[in-house]
Amino acid sequence: MPSTVVTLKVNGRAQEFLARPGTTLLDALRESCSLTAAKKGCAQGTCGTCTVLLEGKPVFACLVPVETVAGRSVATLEGLSDGDTLHPLQESFIELFATQCGFCTSGMIMAAKGLLARNPNPSRADVVRAISGNVCRCTGYEAIIDAVLAAAAKMKNATPIRKKAAE
Amino acid sequence: MLRAIDVPQTTAEALTSLARARDALVIGGGTLVMPKVQAGASGLGALVSLAHCKLDKIAIKGDKVTIGAATTLAAIGEERGLAFLHSAIESVGSPTLRNLATIGGNLFTEQPYGDVAVCLLALDAEATVATRRGVKKVSVAEILKKGIGRDAIVTAVSFKKPEKGTWFYRKAMRRAANSASIVTIAALLPQSKTRVAKARIALGGCGEKPVLAAKAAAALEGQKLDADSVARAGALLIKDTAPFTDAYASAWYRARVLPVHFRRAILGE
Repeated sequence: MPSTVVTLKVNGRAQEFLARPGTTLLDALRESCSLTAAKKGCAQGTCGTCTVLLEGKPVFACLVPVETVAGRSVATLEGLSDGDTLHPLQESFIELFATQCGFCTSGMIMAAKGLLARNPNPSRADVVRAISGNVCRCTGYEAIIDAVLAAAAKMKNATPIRKKAAE
Repeated sequence: MLRAIDVPQTTAEALTSLARARDALVIGGGTLVMPKVQAGASGLGALVSLAHCKLDKIAIKGDKVTIGAATTLAAIGEERGLAFLHSAIESVGSPTLRNLATIGGNLFTEQPYGDVAVCLLALDAEATVATRRGVKKVSVAEILKKGIGRDAIVTAVSFKKPEKGTWFYRKAMRRAANSASIVTIAALLPQSKTRVAKARIALGGCGEKPVLAAKAAAALEGQKLDADSVARAGALLIKDTAPFTDAYASAWYRARVLPVHFRRAILGE
């Protein structure tokens, strides 16, 4: 059946590829854009390991037919760091041992990124709610929640310095 | 294997697209249909997406609310004018799921999912249904019973916003967030002089689709909302329902806890 040409803005760069009907955003990212941070876990929208940001909001990439988001902007874990400088979320996940097998980590960080963009000062309950669609079978979640809160604190302190640097 | 995904720009185009293929399904956010596609659903040839049909507006005029069918649950959860619905919205899936899931899609969800449809039934909401022959209003109750036919699209739902203190909602879940329903209770109980003037109670987890508990509602009318009247009504809930067994709870358990969660919902325990 005919494939269609789909253009997406992925991590700030335009990506163009052919997609067969039924191709999910997740498959397009992994197979056409070679961005493999978002994982395919359940392919049912249940495990959250495919979480990416669509127009800044976390979504399960495995549930999105890619044709329906043509022209939209997508952010994946690969776009998070600034060259060799890790994003505060990535730093905190390392510092606080919030990752074990690592399969959920990309989705966890993107769900957290979506939360912090909307709510830079989250409570513990806000973090729990934000990652409630993401399953982790290793950590027991506490370290992940701690890491998200630590990143939020870091980002709050860092903002004025970065602004100063920009001036 | 899918043959095509259409992404029409208007409802009219979507209806044309839907008429073209007998094996086409409408999708909003994709949270119901895409898991089936991923699992290799047979007999499904084409999808018609409502994502670009501009059906995602919320209009509130006085107490009249109209919500476009492709409005996400997340958008409803952020709408201040719909604060009474927020606890129901937050009881559905996760924030990530709610960024995709739409209110229109919720009408076609099978229990124990679809808590917003339980609310719409309690609110006696009306849906706007478009076909190539025209547009008509159909009650949500009728859609839940009979469906809409394969050539039709729900474009909006509308309802009267409940007055303060008349809306009750409770969902019993297996964990604090992101769980299907054990039982869901939504009730609209307008009162006059401290007595229930009219009662409309909808239940989830008690049948394939949300159901009205008419006998329990009738028992509450004319009564004061207190432990006795709520217990009497609670005992009648089971008469209009058929709780089922699934991975979340057994039919026995659902029937057993239904009056308890009803009491908690109404008396705020």
